[in-house]
Amino acid sequence: MKAGAKRFAARLGALLAVAGSATFMFPAFAFASEESGGIDAILPKMDEFIPMLIAFIVLWIILAKFGWPVFNGMLEKRETNIRENLEKAEAARIESERVLQEYRKQLDEAKAQSAQIVAEAKKTGEAVKADMTEKAQAEAAAIIEKARAAIEAEKKAAISELQGSVADISISVASRVIGSDLSDEEHRKIVERYVNEAGSFNAD
Amino acid sequence: MPTNRLLEKEKVATYASVLLEAAQEAGGQDAVLEIRDQAEQILRIMRTNMDLQSALTDSTYTPEQRATIARGVFASCNSVLTEVLAVMAERGDIELLTRVWNAYCEQLQEKLNVNVVDVTTVVELDDHLREVIKKKAEADLGTNVVLRERVDTSLLGGILMSVGGKRIDASVVSQLENARIVLKQTMDGGEC
Repeated sequence: MKAGAKRFAARLGALLAVAGSATFMFPAFAFASEESGGIDAILPKMDEFIPMLIAFIVLWIILAKFGWPVFNGMLEKRETNIRENLEKAEAARIESERVLQEYRKQLDEAKAQSAQIVAEAKKTGEAVKADMTEKAQAEAAAIIEKARAAIEAEKKAAISELQGSVADISISVASRVIGSDLSDEEHRKIVERYVNEAGSFNAD
Repeated sequence: MPTNRLLEKEKVATYASVLLEAAQEAGGQDAVLEIRDQAEQILRIMRTNMDLQSALTDSTYTPEQRATIARGVFASCNSVLTEVLAVMAERGDIELLTRVWNAYCEQLQEKLNVNVVDVTTVVELDDHLREVIKKKAEADLGTNVVLRERVDTSLLGGILMSVGGKRIDASVVSQLENARIVLKQTMDGGEC
């Protein structure tokens, strides 16, 4: 923008310079209207032309001195503003793309993470389930084994008690039979036999 | 200086030897054995009769009162035994009676070469059985033997002999008891 404005100013300057030079180089054309009609109709009259030219030059100088820098400054400012805005827009676009990429990346990560969490939760759930099942089975087996042992112990105790009772009854019956059925003579024979078969007083 | 234990031992030995010598002097071996049996019975009574035991050892009585009690209670026993018990009660030594009796039996064996064997059976012994038992005991002990017979039907049969803390139990009741134990143990270890 700035370069275009400069070019435009340069062209305008050149055009005015050419016009001025032509006026000064060919004054006949400037005073032609005073001498003849025809072409004179379109030629400027010198008494008008000179002041106008001076006024034009003065105006040009004033404009070149004061107006043009302002105009050029505005153009430059506008150019700078537009360029900055474009740069900002570009930066914003790049930033938005970066952010978008980042968000996409984060989204992908979040998805992967959520999938991993779900997978782990599923895995943990399976492990807990398996563990609970195993524990329940072990407990059930222990209870069964305990019950079996208790039953076995009860069975043994009952058998032992029964056998003890049988032994007691047998011995009791034998005692009564021996105590009542043997005569004195038979008792003496038993005593003699026991004395002969008995151990010694000196035995340990 | 002798300790109390040694003093007591000497005292016990003195009581036992006095008793033995006095009994022998008074009536020979029969008196010695009679005193042994009577002392054994007195020990048995004193173990079960706390009043008698406390009366003979009570320090609130004077020594003379304790001697009088002993003479009165044991008046029916052999006079030698009665006098020795009175002296022991007077001196407060009646608690040593068990040890005195044991020492008396030991001295009886040493000095008279006699062992008294307690024989318990279900029926009275006849002469043949006495001879058999005596021969066995003499062979085992290597001394003369005097049998002290007792009948106890709770033995059910067989014989129970004891002498000086040694014992031969050939009674039917103990054999049945052994059989009961063996039977129970065997059954406990077996399968039903």
